[in-house]
Amino acid sequence: MKKAVLYINQFFAGIGGEEKADHAPEIREGLVGPGLALKTNLKNAEITHTIICGDNFMGSNTEEAIETINGFLEGIDFDIFFAGPAFQAGRYGVACGTICKHVENAFGVKTITSMHEENPGVEMFKKDTYIFPGGKSAAAMRKDTKKMGVLGDKILDGETLLEAEKEGFFVRGIRHQVWREDGAEAADRAVDMLIKKMAGEEFVSELPIPKLDRVPVAPPIKDLSKAQIAVVSSGGIVPVDNPDKIQSSSATRWGRYCIAGEASLESGVYKTIHGGYDNTVANANPNVVVPIDVLRKYEEEGKIGKLHDYFYATVGTGTAEGEAARMAGEMIPYLKEAGVDAIVQIAT
Amino acid sequence: MKLEIGNFFVKEVKFGDVTKFSKGIFTINKEEAIAYVKEDQHITDCDIVITHPGDETRIVPVKEAIEPRAKVGSDDAAFPGVTGGLSQAGLGRTNALKGCSVLAVGKHWGSFGDGLIDMSGEGAKYTMFSQLVNICLVADTDEEFERQSAQKKNKAIRWGAHKLAEFLAKAVEDEEPYEIEVFELGSIIKRDSKVEALPSVVYIMQPQSQMEEKGYNVLYYGWDLNQFVPTLVHPNEVLDGAVIGASYMCCSSKFSTYEFQNNPTIKRLYKEHGKTVNFLGVIMSNLNVSLEQKERSIIVASKLAQMVGADGAIIGEEGYGNTDADFIGCIVALEDMGIKTVGMTNECTGRDGHSQPLVTLAEEANAIVSCGNVSELVELPPMKTVIGELESLARDGISGGWAFDEELGPSVRPDGSIIMLNDSMFCGDHVCGSSKKMVKEF
Repeated sequence: MKKAVLYINQFFAGIGGEEKADHAPEIREGLVGPGLALKTNLKNAEITHTIICGDNFMGSNTEEAIETINGFLEGIDFDIFFAGPAFQAGRYGVACGTICKHVENAFGVKTITSMHEENPGVEMFKKDTYIFPGGKSAAAMRKDTKKMGVLGDKILDGETLLEAEKEGFFVRGIRHQVWREDGAEAADRAVDMLIKKMAGEEFVSELPIPKLDRVPVAPPIKDLSKAQIAVVSSGGIVPVDNPDKIQSSSATRWGRYCIAGEASLESGVYKTIHGGYDNTVANANPNVVVPIDVLRKYEEEGKIGKLHDYFYATVGTGTAEGEAARMAGEMIPYLKEAGVDAIVQIAT
Repeated sequence: MKLEIGNFFVKEVKFGDVTKFSKGIFTINKEEAIAYVKEDQHITDCDIVITHPGDETRIVPVKEAIEPRAKVGSDDAAFPGVTGGLSQAGLGRTNALKGCSVLAVGKHWGSFGDGLIDMSGEGAKYTMFSQLVNICLVADTDEEFERQSAQKKNKAIRWGAHKLAEFLAKAVEDEEPYEIEVFELGSIIKRDSKVEALPSVVYIMQPQSQMEEKGYNVLYYGWDLNQFVPTLVHPNEVLDGAVIGASYMCCSSKFSTYEFQNNPTIKRLYKEHGKTVNFLGVIMSNLNVSLEQKERSIIVASKLAQMVGADGAIIGEEGYGNTDADFIGCIVALEDMGIKTVGMTNECTGRDGHSQPLVTLAEEANAIVSCGNVSELVELPPMKTVIGELESLARDGISGGWAFDEELGPSVRPDGSIIMLNDSMFCGDHVCGSSKKMVKEF
C-alpha cells in the first residue's frame, strides 16, 4: 500500500476559527477531519499522516512554516501529497498552494488540492500543482475530495494523464499537441469558427489568450527637479552576500538596500545574482543595471529633487507574473510612505 | 475567373517503357524522366525512387513536395515563372495526378528547412505525405557555395522536382480525367444580391519571406515575397501553380507547393461561397524580419481587406517565433477595423510544454485554430529502407535534428532509430488547413 499525507488548516482540524489561525504547524499520525472523506475516495494509498497549520501562520511566517513542515516530511515516507480542499477560503487556498508547490519541488512527489475558482490560490498556484475546481463551502467536501482521490489513484497507478479538460483540473499552462478524435481538419475548424464569430455566436478558440493585466501609463511628472525618484529592478543587483536570499530565477523574494550617501554602487560591494544573462559586466559595474551613479549626479545637478534612500531588487527571469505582482504589492507601501514620486524600473 | 482541374486518381506508380496512366496505375519511363531533369546541368547526380503508403521507408532530407500538374491545350507553364515563362495562372484546364506527389530529396545533403517522412508505423501519422504515393527525385547538385551551410536555396533540386511534376502530368494530356473540379469566382463587386447579402470573407496568407537574399523565399509568379507588399490574389492562382514553396522555414511549419495547390482553406471557402459566406478572395501577404517591413505588410494587408469590404478574415502564418509578430499584429489590425478574424498557426511550447505558445499574444486574437506544436519530442524505430541519407537529420542543421545532446544523444542512432522534434516533420503542422492535430492543456 502506498502512502499519502494530507495538509489541512486549523479550522478543519477542529482546533478553532480565526482566533486560532496563528496555530503553528503540527503533524499527527492518521486521519483528521477531511481525511475521512478523502480516504473513502482513495484506493491506492493510505493516509498515514495529517499536517495541520493555522492559515495566518502560513501567511505571515511562510518560511518558518515551510521549514517546519519540511522537517516533518523528511522523517516519513510518502508517495503523494494532498492539501485542502480549501473551497472559497482565500488564505487557506494560498496556504494549500504554497505547501503543494514546495512539496512538489523539494520531494518530487505529485501534489493535489482543490479550491473554488474564485479562490486567489487558483491563479497563484495552478501552474505548480494539480488544483481541482471546488465548491464554495464545506458542503462540497465529499464531491471535492472525490476528484482529488480519483486523480491520486491514477497517478499512483502510473497512468498517463489525459488533457486537463478531461481530467478536470485547472489548466496549468502546459500545452502539447494531440490528434483530434473527430479527425476534423484545421481548414474546417477555421471556417466554422469564423462563421460563428461573424454571426455573434459562441465559439471556442483553440489557443486561449491569458487575460492581460495592462497597467495604464502614469501621467508625466510636472517638475522633475522637485521629484523623489527610486529605482526598482528585476536585474538581480544585491549586496554581495545576498542577505535576502533572492533566487537566481523564478524569484519569490525581493530586497531593499540603503544607498543613502553613496555616490554609486561599487563592484565587490554589490553584484548580480540574476541567472538569465551574462553577469560579467554587471558584476564589474553594478551601475549598468541600477544606475545610482547617474541618478546621484542628476540629484547634485538639480535635475531630480532627490534620489530615494533605497533601491529595490528582485530577479525577473522565469518569475511568474503572480509572484511579480505580489512582490510589487509588498514594495509599494515603502515607496508611498517615503513619498516617492516616480520609479525607474529596470529590466535586463 | 474559371479554373477546371482534371483529376486522375493514382493508386500505384511503377517504372516501365512508356510514361502513361492507365486504370489507376501511373507508369514512368525512368531514363526519359531522369534525362529531362538532367537537362539542368547543375544536377550532377539524380535518381527517381518510388514509395507507397505502408512501405517501411523513411525519407529524409525532403525539401519540397509538388502535385504533378500540367496545363491542357496550351503551352502555359504549370508553374509560371518557375518551369516556364509567365502566363496567367488560374484559368482554363489543368490536369492533376491525385494521390501522389513529387518529392525533392537530397541524395546526401540536408538543410535547415528540410523534413522527414515515414511511410508507415508510428511516424506516419506526423505528416499527411505518408498517405501519398511519393515519387522521390533524389539528387545531388554542383551548388558548392552552400554545401557547408545550414541554409540552402536548394534551387537545382527544387526546380528539378517542379519540372518533373509537370513532365509527368503532361503524359495524360490527351486522356479524359476521371473528374473535373471547377473553381469559378467572378469579380468582387457586382455579385448576385443573394451572395452579397452573406458575410464577406477574405483569406490572408502569410508565406515565408524572412531571407533578405533572393532564392530562399516563397515565389509568386517567380517573384520573391521578400521584395513585395501584400496584394489581392485570385484563389485560383494559388490553386494553379502561381505560388511555390520556400527553402527556409522549419519544416513542420512549411507551406509546400503541394499545399498551395491543394489549399484546404481555399477549397472550404469555395464550398461555403454563396451558401454561408461571400468569398472575396485571397490577400497574399508575407513574413519579413524587420519591424518596419512587418508594419508595412500589416498596414497594406488589413487595408486591402477593408477596401474589398471584408466582414471576416482567416489568416494563416508559415512559421513561428519572429513571424508571430506579423501574425498577431495583422489580427489586431483587422479586429481594430471591425473585421472578425480567425488565425491559423502552430505553437512552440518548449520541451516541457510550459513556454508561452507564441512569442507575442494579444487579447484581440480570440479565435485561433492551433495546428500543432513544433516542440514535441518524437522517437521512432528504424525503417527498412531510407530514401536520401538518414545522417543528414543529425549532421546538416535540419531544424528539428541535432548531432549532439547531453541527455538525448544524437538524433540518428547507429541502429537507424531516430529522436527528433516535430519541428522537422515534413509540413507536419499543415497550417494550410489539413492538420488533424490541435494543442491542448495537460
